[in-house]
Amino acid sequence: MSTPTQANRALSRSHRMSDQTCINLLVASVAVLLFLVASLLVPNFFQWLNLLNLITNNWAVISLGVGVTFLLVSGNFDLSVGGIVALSGVLAVWFAQSTGGANELASGFGLPYWLAMLCALAGALTIGGLNALFVVRFRIPSIIVTLGTMMLARGIAQVVTQGSQRNTNLPADFGLLGNMTLFGTSVKLPVVLMAILLVIAVFIERKMVFGRLTYWIGANPVAARLSGIDKDRHVTYLYLFSACVAGIVGILLSSEFKSGYSNRGMLMEFDALVIALLGGVAIAGGFGSVVGMFFGALILAVVTSAATGLILSPDWQFILKAIAVFLAIMTQTWALARRNR
Amino acid sequence: MTSQQYSPVLSVEGLTKDYPGVRAVDDVSFSIENSTIHCLIGENGAGKSTLIKMLTGALQPTSGTMKVNGSVYEPNNPHEAREYGIATLFQELHVVDELTVLENLTLGMEQSRFGFLIKSDLDDRVIQTLASIEPSIDPSARVSSLSVAQKQIIEIARAASSGANVIIMDEPTAALSEREVDRLFGVIRRLQETKDTVVYISHKLDEILQLGDVVTVLRDGKHIATKLLSQVAGRSELIEMMIGRNVFQDYTPRTTVTDESVLTVSGLSSKLLKDVSFHINKGEIVGFYGLVGAGKTEIARALFGADKVSGSILFKGQEVGHSPRQAIAAGIALVPEERRTQGLFTNLTIRENIPVMNLHRLSDKGIFRSSDAEAAAIDYVDKLSIATDSIEKHTEKLSGGNQQKVVLAKCLFSQAELLLLDEPTRGVDVGAKTEIYDIIRNLADEGNSVAIFSTELEEVLGICDRIFLLYSGSLESEVINGPDVDATQILNVVTGGHEGVVQ
Repeated sequence: MSTPTQANRALSRSHRMSDQTCINLLVASVAVLLFLVASLLVPNFFQWLNLLNLITNNWAVISLGVGVTFLLVSGNFDLSVGGIVALSGVLAVWFAQSTGGANELASGFGLPYWLAMLCALAGALTIGGLNALFVVRFRIPSIIVTLGTMMLARGIAQVVTQGSQRNTNLPADFGLLGNMTLFGTSVKLPVVLMAILLVIAVFIERKMVFGRLTYWIGANPVAARLSGIDKDRHVTYLYLFSACVAGIVGILLSSEFKSGYSNRGMLMEFDALVIALLGGVAIAGGFGSVVGMFFGALILAVVTSAATGLILSPDWQFILKAIAVFLAIMTQTWALARRNR
Repeated sequence: MTSQQYSPVLSVEGLTKDYPGVRAVDDVSFSIENSTIHCLIGENGAGKSTLIKMLTGALQPTSGTMKVNGSVYEPNNPHEAREYGIATLFQELHVVDELTVLENLTLGMEQSRFGFLIKSDLDDRVIQTLASIEPSIDPSARVSSLSVAQKQIIEIARAASSGANVIIMDEPTAALSEREVDRLFGVIRRLQETKDTVVYISHKLDEILQLGDVVTVLRDGKHIATKLLSQVAGRSELIEMMIGRNVFQDYTPRTTVTDESVLTVSGLSSKLLKDVSFHINKGEIVGFYGLVGAGKTEIARALFGADKVSGSILFKGQEVGHSPRQAIAAGIALVPEERRTQGLFTNLTIRENIPVMNLHRLSDKGIFRSSDAEAAAIDYVDKLSIATDSIEKHTEKLSGGNQQKVVLAKCLFSQAELLLLDEPTRGVDVGAKTEIYDIIRNLADEGNSVAIFSTELEEVLGICDRIFLLYSGSLESEVINGPDVDATQILNVVTGGHEGVVQ
C-alpha cells in the first residue's frame, strides 16, 4: 500500500531535466567547445579579456535579441529592430542638434538632451505600436508587417539624414552615455545595461506570469484564448517592449559615435534572429529562452571572430553564419526528437 | 435485360472492420441496385462512416468482399475507387474557388498542345452534363461566386462527367437551406434518370422518406435491414430499426439538484442559432443533444464568450459572454470540442497545462509560484487518476482519455461553478469514459452546474438531469430525464420530426 504522499513524490521526483534546460546546456557546451577549439587554432585567443570582448562587442545585438526572443517564443517575428535602431539614433541627434546650423544637416530642434532622448524613444515606440496594430488588430502575418516597418523606420531615418549623417552642432554631453566607463574598468555603460536587461529578462521569463503567458500563447494561441489569456494585449506589450529596447540601443549607439546615421543597425534584425535560432528558440513559437539566445550570440561571435581573425578573410562571415544557423536548427530538431521519442 | 436487373451495381458480403478493441463494422452484407437512390442510416457509431470509407478505398476491410457489377472490387485509395466508377461527395468541398465552373469541371483532364491549353470536345461534353443536371449554373462563372449548394452540384457534375456511376453523398444537406435542399434533390433525381446510382447518407429521416428508394439500416456495426422505402411504415419504423432496443440506461435521479437558477439565457441568435432560451440550475447536469450542425458547439462557445452572438446571457445575475477571459473570471469554464487543437498545449507538459486557466491562484503581484503549480498538477493527476509516470510528461504523448482528463483538470483548477463540456468523451476509451462521468457527477454533487453538449444519446440519457433537444439551430424541446423517457421520441425531434415531446 503506497500512501498518496509516496505516489506524489514519485510523480515529481522523476524530475527529468526539462527540454529547456537540456537545450540551454547543449548550446552552452557548444559555445564553450567552440571557444576551446578556436583557442587551439588562433594564437592569443584563449584570454579572459578576449572572451569579455566577444560579449561587449556584441552588446547591441544581444540586447535586441531579448525582445526578438520573447516575440519568437510567442509565435511572432520582429524584423523591425534594426530599422528602429537607426531611426531612434537619428531622431535623438536631430532633436538635440541646436537650431540655426550652417546647413540643413547641421541644424535640429535644440531640445535638451534628455528630452531629445525621450522623443527618440517615442519614435521607436510608435514603430512598435504599428507592429502591434497590424499584427494584432488586422491579423497580418508578423513577418510581413515587421518587414514593412523595418523599411519604414529606416526610410524615415534616411529622409531625416538625407541619406547621410548628422554629427555636428550637438550638445557637449551628447557622447557621454555611450562612452561612459564604469567601476574604473574599461566596461562601458551600454554593456552594463545589457547585463541588467538580461537579468531582468531571465527573471520575467522564469519567474513571472508574464513570461509563462508568452509560452502558452506561442504553444497554442487558440487554446490560450479559450483558457482566458488576452493574447492580443500580450503581443502588443511584447512589440512595445522590443521596440523600446531597440530604441534605447539606437540612442546609445548614436551617443557612442556622436552621430545619427541612417545605415546604423543594418542587418542587426537578422543577427538578432540568428542568435535566437542558434540559442535554440523555436521558430514556430512556444519554446526558447533568453539564456539560450545569449549563448547563441557567443557561438556566433566565436565563429566569426576566430575564423575571420586567422583563417579566412572577413568576406566569409555570412557563409559562416549560414552554416552555423543550419547546424543549430538541425541539432535542435535532432536533440528534441531523440529525447521525446 | 432481366439478368442485368439482378446484377447489383455494388454489393458487399460479410464485410468486417476491426479496430483495436472494437469491431466497427460487423459482418455486413447487402447490395445496391443500379439507378436507385439507396439511403444509409444509423446512429452515431453505428458504422456508417467506416463502411463508406471502405467503399471509397480510404480504409481496407479486415475481412469480407466488395463487388462492383459482379466483379471483385478492392480499392486501395479513393483514386482507385474512381476508376471503378465510384465517386464520393464529402462534407468538405473540394472545388477551387479561384477558377471558373468549367475549369473546375475539367480540372486534371485538360488537353494541351505544346504546353498550351486547347479547347476540346471535353468542354462541350462537360457543359452538357452540367446543363442536364442543373441548367441554372453558368459554366463561365467563377466558383467563388456560387453558394455552398451550387458548389456541391459542381462536384456532383464533375463526378458524373468523369464517368462515375455510383455517387456516395455523406450528409450533403448539413450546410444547406431548405430551398437549396430541394434543388439538390432535383439534381439527385435527374442523376437517377440518367442511370446513375446514388448512395445517400443522412440523419434527417424526412429527407430519406422523401427521396430514397431503398434504405439500409446499421446499428452497432451490424446490418439490421435493407428494405424498399415503400414498405417502410414512416419515421417511427426507421427510428425503431435504428435504436432496436431500449437505450441502455443507468441514470438515477440525483438529489442535489436545486431550483436556484445560476445561468439564464434568452434570445440567443446568430447565423445558425434561432432565438435559443433556457436556464440552468445550481447543482444540475443538463445536456444539449442534437445532430452534427444542430448548434451545440455554437451555444457552448457563445456562453463562454468565444463567439459573438446576440441575446442575453446572465450568470449569477452578471452579464457574461463577451470574452473567454471574462467568462473564466465569472466562474465559467469550457472543455472545447477539439481537445488537441483547442484545449491542450500538446507540446507542453502536464505540469504546464493544468494551471493556465487560473493564474491568480498561483501568483503574487505577477510573480509565478511554480512550486504551487507543481503541487496543483500532482494534486489533479491524483484526483482524476491521470495515468502518467510523471507530471513532466508531454501531453501529446498521453492517450485520448488522459488528454481529456488534463483538459478537465485545467477547467477544475479554474474553480468554475459552471462547466461547459463539448463532446467530453469523444475519442475516449470506455474506462476513461466512466471515470469522466463520475467526475462530472461529483462536481454537480458539490453544487456546481454542468452542461454537456453531445451527439451521443446514451451519454446524455446516462448522466443528464435535463436534456435540451436541438434541431438546426433551434431549441425544440426539453426533456426531464427519468425511467420513462422515450428515446424514440427524442430521436424523432432531433431528426426533424416536429411533433414535440410531451413532458
